[in-house]
Amino acid sequence: MRLEPADALDRVKGALGERVTDARLNHGQVDLTVELDKYVEVVRILRDDIALGCRFFTFLSAIDRSTYKYDDDDQRETGSAGSQNKKGGIEVLVHLYSPDKIWHVNLHVPLDFDAPVCPSITGVFRGAEWHEREAAEMFGIHFTDHPNLTTLYLSEDFEGHPMLKSFKLPARSYVKDWPGAKDPDEAAAAGGR
Amino acid sequence: MADTPKVLEPELQNLQDSSAFANEVSEGRLVTEQMLLNVGPQHPATHGVFRLLATIDGERIVRAEPVVGYMHRGYEKLVEQRDYRQITNLISRMDWLSGINNELPLALALEELMEIEVPERAQYLRVALAEMNRILNHLMFFQSFAAELGAITPTFYAFREREDIQYAMETVTGGRMHFGFFRPGGLKEDVPKGFVDMALASVRKVIKRLPDYEDLLTGNEIFKQRTINIGTLDREVAYSYGVSGPIGRGSSIDMDVRRDEPYLVYDQFDFEVCTGSHGDCFDRFWVLLHEIIESAKIVEQALAGLPPGPIMGKVPRVVEAPKGEVYIRTENPLGELGFYLVSDGGRRPYRIKIRTPSYSNVSALPFVLENTLVADMIAILGSFFFVLGDVDR
Repeated sequence: MRLEPADALDRVKGALGERVTDARLNHGQVDLTVELDKYVEVVRILRDDIALGCRFFTFLSAIDRSTYKYDDDDQRETGSAGSQNKKGGIEVLVHLYSPDKIWHVNLHVPLDFDAPVCPSITGVFRGAEWHEREAAEMFGIHFTDHPNLTTLYLSEDFEGHPMLKSFKLPARSYVKDWPGAKDPDEAAAAGGR
Repeated sequence: MADTPKVLEPELQNLQDSSAFANEVSEGRLVTEQMLLNVGPQHPATHGVFRLLATIDGERIVRAEPVVGYMHRGYEKLVEQRDYRQITNLISRMDWLSGINNELPLALALEELMEIEVPERAQYLRVALAEMNRILNHLMFFQSFAAELGAITPTFYAFREREDIQYAMETVTGGRMHFGFFRPGGLKEDVPKGFVDMALASVRKVIKRLPDYEDLLTGNEIFKQRTINIGTLDREVAYSYGVSGPIGRGSSIDMDVRRDEPYLVYDQFDFEVCTGSHGDCFDRFWVLLHEIIESAKIVEQALAGLPPGPIMGKVPRVVEAPKGEVYIRTENPLGELGFYLVSDGGRRPYRIKIRTPSYSNVSALPFVLENTLVADMIAILGSFFFVLGDVDR
């Protein structure tokens, strides 16, 4: 039986109550912001509550928002409460899906940008193991209680965390700028042909 | 004579020991030394460079750990440096057996953010091409699974059928693997004259001939012995790993994005979602095989009802997605392919999280391989239908 997004949002609000700091709809999917200490509990409720039934683990990843161009009136707040990076922090993103009731939930968990630490949800979803390993090596997030937090894709001696915005692709950071004009308008302005 | 029993005694003792030994072995109480077996990274059964570290105890796999990353190309980082139209051609290379299906979620995500309306003809053609690509992909795994189990004949049949469909797609897109044909807002160009007939003939051939191939394998006693009740994946475990596609449906997960949340014009077509009941190698293969027929039916319906009209919606000259975030998923041949697109309003995406089906499916392998026999390992690997480019991205 299909659950309409608005109904899903109501049910989520009812089941989670004060545990979520923000709940809204985004393109037909429920979007939640959860504080770090409630995160595992919220994931467990989403999975086990029969009225919600988010049993399908779609993915876990992270987003580095440090260079995101925010508008001045942008209401969205990422970064843990009290830390310096309210906007433009790093967050863990978990997507769950209910195969029976057909609705989606995106879970945003703001982390401390300088030392991102997050509890592991491998105890709730086994599949999170690889996803957390990938997020750990790509974003430098430490997942506590993870059974095997080794690198997944990268070699053991790889330095840095490639998916952070501060990590520049070698091909883009070492090459010189293109010497000429990049488009006709620019060339005309410079008096060139 | 009196000495004889003394001489015999140790041998008798040995004999008794060995029968006790045999008992212990048969009851599984005996702990023998474990051995580490390395499979790959270049093993013919792995469809790419995939390495499996299996700890075995006699004939039994105690623990299996897949080692991936040999083909990691960092698409999630690369797409942040390119504009949207370049990305289409890049992500086509993720799962190289289903190129055109990979391009679809990006186009859909951009259309959702930019609020572009796609003309009906383009939608129908997208469905037809995506389903033809699904047949190509499934026929490939149909033959590779059989070949891994030692049956070489299906390879020749599958490639004969593949070639016709491949040729029809080549006349449209110019490519055989990496098509680069879907654009945000529609298609690169319209299909040439004669394509509809050519495509219809090729899929009808598949519908006509597939039952024979099915009998060749699913009715085969050796094939059954090697796949039934081998490598079972429980439904709840499959959920928690996020296993989708033919592998998930083999484990009786009744889930198909095309039916549950129809994108494009899938809600206008009549097709069935096949599911297995035991979640073993046979069920996974059975689902894969029957999806070929369903896909062929969709292609028939889509091409028979192909409406006239434009193939491109109103798209600005520069593709710039407005600020926002959206998660779009489609049913890729191997499972759920999802794009979480974060845009900050530029020509390039701020971040795209690519959720590939093979990645989640392969992460369930350690669970399935535990406590199976070494002899079944290749059957299980083959029945997981993964493409390494899709795992490593």
